Order: sequence, then C-alpha cells, then structure tokens
Amino acid sequence: MSQPPPRDDVKACCAAAYSSDVVTLLLGDSYHPGGTALTRRLADALALRPDDGVLDVASGRGTTALLLAETYGVRVDGVDYSPANTALARGTAEAAGHADRVSFTTGDAERLPYPDGDFTALVCECALCTFPDKCRAAAEFARVLRPGGRVGITDVTADTDRLPAELTGLAARIACVADALPLAGYVDLLSAAGLRTLRTEPHDAALLRMIDQIEARLNLARMTAPDRLAAADIDLAAAPTVLAAARSAVADGVLGYALLIAEKPPAGRP
Amino acid sequence: MTAPRKQDRDEVFVEFTKSICPVCKTPVDAQVNIREDKVYLRKRCREHGGFEALVYGDAEEYLASARFNKPGTIPLTFQTEVRDGCPSDCGLCPEHKQHACLGIIEVNTGCNLDCPICFADSGHQAGDGYSITHDQCARMLDAFVESEGEPEVVMFSGGEPTIHKHILDFIDLAQERPIRNVNLNTNGIRLATDRNFVAELGKRNQVPGRSVNVYLQFDGFDERTHREIRGRDLRRFKEKALANCADAGLTVTLVAAVERGLNEHELGAIIEYGVDHPAVRSVAFQPVTHSGRHVPFDPLNRLTNPDVIRLVGEQLPGWFQKGDFFPVPCCFPTCRSITYLLVDGEPGARTVVPIPRLLQVEDYLDYVSNRVMPDDGIREALEKLWSASAFMGTDTTEEQLRATAEALDCADACGIDLPEAVKSLGEKAFMIVVQDFQDPYTLNVKQLMKCCVEEITPDGRLIPFCAYNSVGYREQVREQMSGVPVADVVPNALPLADRLAPTPYGSRMLRPATDEETTA
Repeated sequence: MSQPPPRDDVKACCAAAYSSDVVTLLLGDSYHPGGTALTRRLADALALRPDDGVLDVASGRGTTALLLAETYGVRVDGVDYSPANTALARGTAEAAGHADRVSFTTGDAERLPYPDGDFTALVCECALCTFPDKCRAAAEFARVLRPGGRVGITDVTADTDRLPAELTGLAARIACVADALPLAGYVDLLSAAGLRTLRTEPHDAALLRMIDQIEARLNLARMTAPDRLAAADIDLAAAPTVLAAARSAVADGVLGYALLIAEKPPAGRP
Repeated sequence: MTAPRKQDRDEVFVEFTKSICPVCKTPVDAQVNIREDKVYLRKRCREHGGFEALVYGDAEEYLASARFNKPGTIPLTFQTEVRDGCPSDCGLCPEHKQHACLGIIEVNTGCNLDCPICFADSGHQAGDGYSITHDQCARMLDAFVESEGEPEVVMFSGGEPTIHKHILDFIDLAQERPIRNVNLNTNGIRLATDRNFVAELGKRNQVPGRSVNVYLQFDGFDERTHREIRGRDLRRFKEKALANCADAGLTVTLVAAVERGLNEHELGAIIEYGVDHPAVRSVAFQPVTHSGRHVPFDPLNRLTNPDVIRLVGEQLPGWFQKGDFFPVPCCFPTCRSITYLLVDGEPGARTVVPIPRLLQVEDYLDYVSNRVMPDDGIREALEKLWSASAFMGTDTTEEQLRATAEALDCADACGIDLPEAVKSLGEKAFMIVVQDFQDPYTLNVKQLMKCCVEEITPDGRLIPFCAYNSVGYREQVREQMSGVPVADVVPNALPLADRLAPTPYGSRMLRPATDEETTA
C-alpha cells in the first residue's frame, strides 16, 4: 500500500474531490449521511433563534446553509475550501432569493476568515474528519464562537486501529473514513479546544444508507456511462469489496456516524 | 384485602375517524389503534355490532408516512354538494381534498370470465347488467375533462371492456379530447385471440401526444392461482396476449390481485417475468379488495401494502431492501407505494438499482417540514413519478424518469455528456406499484377524502374508487343503469359467515331474516 500523502496534499485533494463531479455523481450535492433530516435534527439541538449568526464550515454547495436560513430564520455564513463550491452555493442562494441572509466564502477551516466571537452557532457536517489538523480546526471553531455559543457536528466515527485494509487508502480518506476518530476522540478534541460536549447521538443507519447510495450510483454510472467512470479512475471491479468491507465495519461497530453538540462556556465561567 | 388494580390497554389509540358499517353501509365513528406494530381500524354499528380489520402491517411506517402527504389540488369543478358528509355525498363534493389523478370508466358489467374474485361483481350474468352507449361515454369523458382540464389518464374498465363492441370508438373519443393517455384494463383473452384488435390498439398508441397502454390482469404462474382467482387456467392466454402486445408496440402493466394463501408466493416471479418481457414495463400488486365477489377472508389477517412489500423483498432478496418503496404523496400516503428499478443485464448477471437508493427521496417529498430545497427540479420529477397518474408507456412518466436521472448527474459542470446515455435509461426502468384499495371493512374517510382515483359515473359524477366499491354507489349505478334491483353487497368475511347469503352475481348479501327470526 502507498504511503499516506503529506497533509496539505490530502487537504487539497479532499477539497478537490469534494468539489469534483465524480463525488457529486456518487453522493449528491449534500454529501453528508442523514440528509436534511439529520441536518434539521442538528439544528434543533442548537436552539437557533431568528437572526442568530451561524457559520457552516465546509458548506459545500449550500444546501444546509439555505435550509437553516429558510427554516430557522438565521443569517448564515458558509465557508468551503473549494472555490467552485463557493460559486455554486452563491448561485443557489441567489436563485432561492436568500442572498441577503446567506453568504459564502472560500477559506480554510484551520484558518477561518472571521473575527473572534462572531457567531452564535457553528455547524460542520461530515467534514471535521477530513481536516488534517483537527485540533487547529476545533480551536478555530471555539475562537469564532461567542461565549455560550454552540457547535453542532455530524461526522464519521471510526475505531481506526480496527479498520480493515480496504478502508485506509486515499479514496477512503476522501470518503471521510480513514482519518475519522472514535466518538470519544471528537469529545476530547473539542474539550482540548475549550468546547464542552453537551450531547452525543449515534446515527449509524445514516452511514449504511450512504453506502447504499454510493453503490446505487456506481451501478447507475456503470449502466449509463461506463467510460466516464473509467476516466475518473474509479475501479469498478474493486467497488464491491470496499463497500462490503464498509458495511461489515458498520455492523461490527468499527465504523459509525454520530452527532455531537458542544458549547463554548458562557462568559464568566471557565 | 388488596385494592383493585387498574389495567393498561393493550393498544395505542392513534386516530378517531369515520367509516361505514360493512353490513348496512351506515356511516359510523371509527378508531385506529396500534397493536404489536400493526394498525387496525375498529368501529361499531348500532344495529350490526362491532367490526375490526387490519389496515397497515407496519405501524412505524404508517406513522412515518404522514409527512409524505402532498397538499391537494382543487379540481376545476365539483359535481355534488356537501349535504350528509363523507362518504355519502360523492362526488366529488367540495370537501374533497384532491383532484382526480386517474379517472376510470366502466363500460360494461358483462365479462367473458366469471372469476371467483371480482370487486366489480361482473360476469356472464345475462340480461341484467349494462353496457354504456357512445353518448354516455362521451358525456363521462366530458365530465372528466370539465373537472380536470387536461386529464393525464383515463382507464377503461368493466366488466371486461374489450368485449364492448364500441371499445375502440371509446378510445377514439378519449383521444379526441385533451386526455393524454388511455389505459385498457383487461383479462387479456381478446388480446390473445384477436390480433386485429391488438393492431388497432397499437395504431392508437402511435397517435402523436397520446398513448394507449394495457393494464393486464396477471396473478401468477401456478395453475391453482388461475383456478382459484379466475376460475380457469388462463396461462396460455396471458402468454399470447403479451406476445401480441409486444408485436404491436404496446406497453403493458402486469396487475396481480394478491390473496393470502393463494398467490402471495408468486410476487417475485411476476416481477422477474415482467422485467424480462419486452412488452412489460411495470407490475401492480393489489391486495384483493374485499368488495364485490371474493373468497372468504379474515379481516384481521388480510394483506396490506407493507405485507406485500415485505413479501417482494423476501422473494427477491438480491433486489430489494427495506426503504426501496416509497409512499405516494398525491393520494393518502398509506394507500399506495411505488418504486422504480433500473435493471441492466441478463438473468444471472443483472444489476438492479432501485431509484430511491440513488437519492434521499424523503428529502424531496416531505411536505410537513421541507419548505425549500435547492433541488434543480428533482422534487417536481419525483412528484410525477410517485403519483397515481404515473404509468409506464406515457410520455410524462418517461420524461420524469429522464429528468430524475439527469438531475442526479453533473453533465453541465464536468464536461462529460451523459444525456445521450440517459436517453436509453427509459427502457431499463421498471415500475412496481403496491395499492391496497379500501373495502367496507377498512374504509377510513380520512383516506377517502384525499383519494385521487375516481370512478366516472354515467350521470357525470366522479366517485372515489373505494367509496364506489364499498359504500353502495356501485350497486346504485348498476340498478339505475340496468333497471334490475341490486342487493347491497356485504363482504364475504369469516366473522359474518352465518349472516350471509349469495347474490345472483356471486357476491354476498345479508341473509333475509327467516319467519322464525322475525317473530322471535
């Protein structure tokens, strides 16, 4: 197996993959497991109030940002590593008539382009696990939040020592798998950044659903455009093995999906 | 002495609604309860006592489906007024919540079969049935157009519509009007034996902007299935009918009436047969409607949509898993569930992709919490596919399948041209519909008020299909049209067995009281 690439390469590579259309083909434009139902559950747990400022880290093509603005009446800033996503998300916001309440910026989660204490809440869906320097990202989350502000995270959980070999390559890394942490690892990470976890929930079924979706889309692509898959370097022959490994990893509790809500301590309290 | 202990009920009470007494059809209060993950409807008639029936075999899904309930569309006209309340004012009355996605015209009561199972109580009974005239058909179609503007589909049914001597004229009448598609609901005997007739249908299927599709009764492959459900072994007729349809370029839906203990083991085989047959593009499974004529049944152990879906999954385990079928939002979501498959390759080396696995359908068809979705038209496409007016072979359904596949793609951004490839997808798409029609036991006005499948009557009313078959409208229309008195039909349910007597058509009615009983 090849050596893991240097970190910056991974980050650029992840962002490139996430903004590439192969990933769109396989996962749709709202890449995270659980779809809008889980986004809504996350937002409910954040106790959002109208006109709160919310930051969406790794905002993709803007689906979540628009949902939050529309459903909860909040103002949303979205930041994504990919300029292509930023452009697409802006277009969607304009088309939906929400350009005044939702804005998008290209930027790095490890160096968020916002001042300290700027947001009441922050969401990050299925992305923290792909950030090479997760500690730095968590510290940035804490920095841009106001005291008492909340972070809502959904992400892949993985007991990395027990991950099967099929799920540790670069492709798996891009698909939010190989670099994920166990649930306790996320709690520790947030805690080290001064964010206190209030609640965690397992949502493993959402991950199984995503695996099904990837398989279905691979099959669709095989029916309609096999040349395209080959051009995108997708190894169809290997796909069943990787998907089967992913499913058994979920069944064995090695791989999962979780929702976390954490809080930046209110002012005057440690 | 110990104090008496209060006991908990063994069921969860979830709805208070209205239904009818299955014996006298009088509207009565009803309640819906959940016991052991199944949903039951219970009611009591002052005169005829208590009744209970299984209405949904999966309580979780019954409750979860509530959000897939699309706000109805108001038809252009209503045909009746609100007077006595649902289900006595059909229809449609202004309290009805949905327009007609599908209109049905029964052209006759006569049939070239006398099936032991027939909700329409049709057959060879000479002399006391009816056939509609050319003028009546025109008026019925006009009533449909007046109500819908440009109706998507009209279905000709019966009786057996292909034995009506004017059936081709009736199709012409429909095609002269702004009605996009005609469905012919048939047992297939004439399609098997009269190639000229099939060619005439094929010709009408080529009319630009119009289609004629065949809705073929097809219950399975066992001889016993045919004998018990149809009274005759029709296997060779079905095969021939399908071959003739394929030759004439007609698209066929295989329609199976499914009954416990008869053909519930044949569902997977029907799907596979359909997928492999060049004429067949969809299968519809309908748990036997216990209206009209049918074999004795246990209302507490009948088949419901989740039961059929479970059986399909068990019989084709490599094809289906839980969640592959999705409720139809235009009618009440517990009435009908649909899935579409994309199937490629030969038996043994097949790739099967259920469309609901490609995207989160529930994100698009959730009408309770989703007000906005940046969706590139996916929602609109899915609404047309998950609809009672969706039929394979119609332009609308084919277009929406393409739109969905294209929306999943990225042709614009990635510079690779997929639409060409997607064009051929239509031929790989296969539709499976599961529809549990209501009967006098299961009727719930909550569902009925949003029904979008309507029987068009010769006097120009549009009556929800399940009201027509359950409440007594069918008997009234037959009596008016034939001039022969028609008894009120009562379900041939096991708990009623000792109170029933046969009608001249093979259905059951309340046994007339004997002298002894009346004087007692």
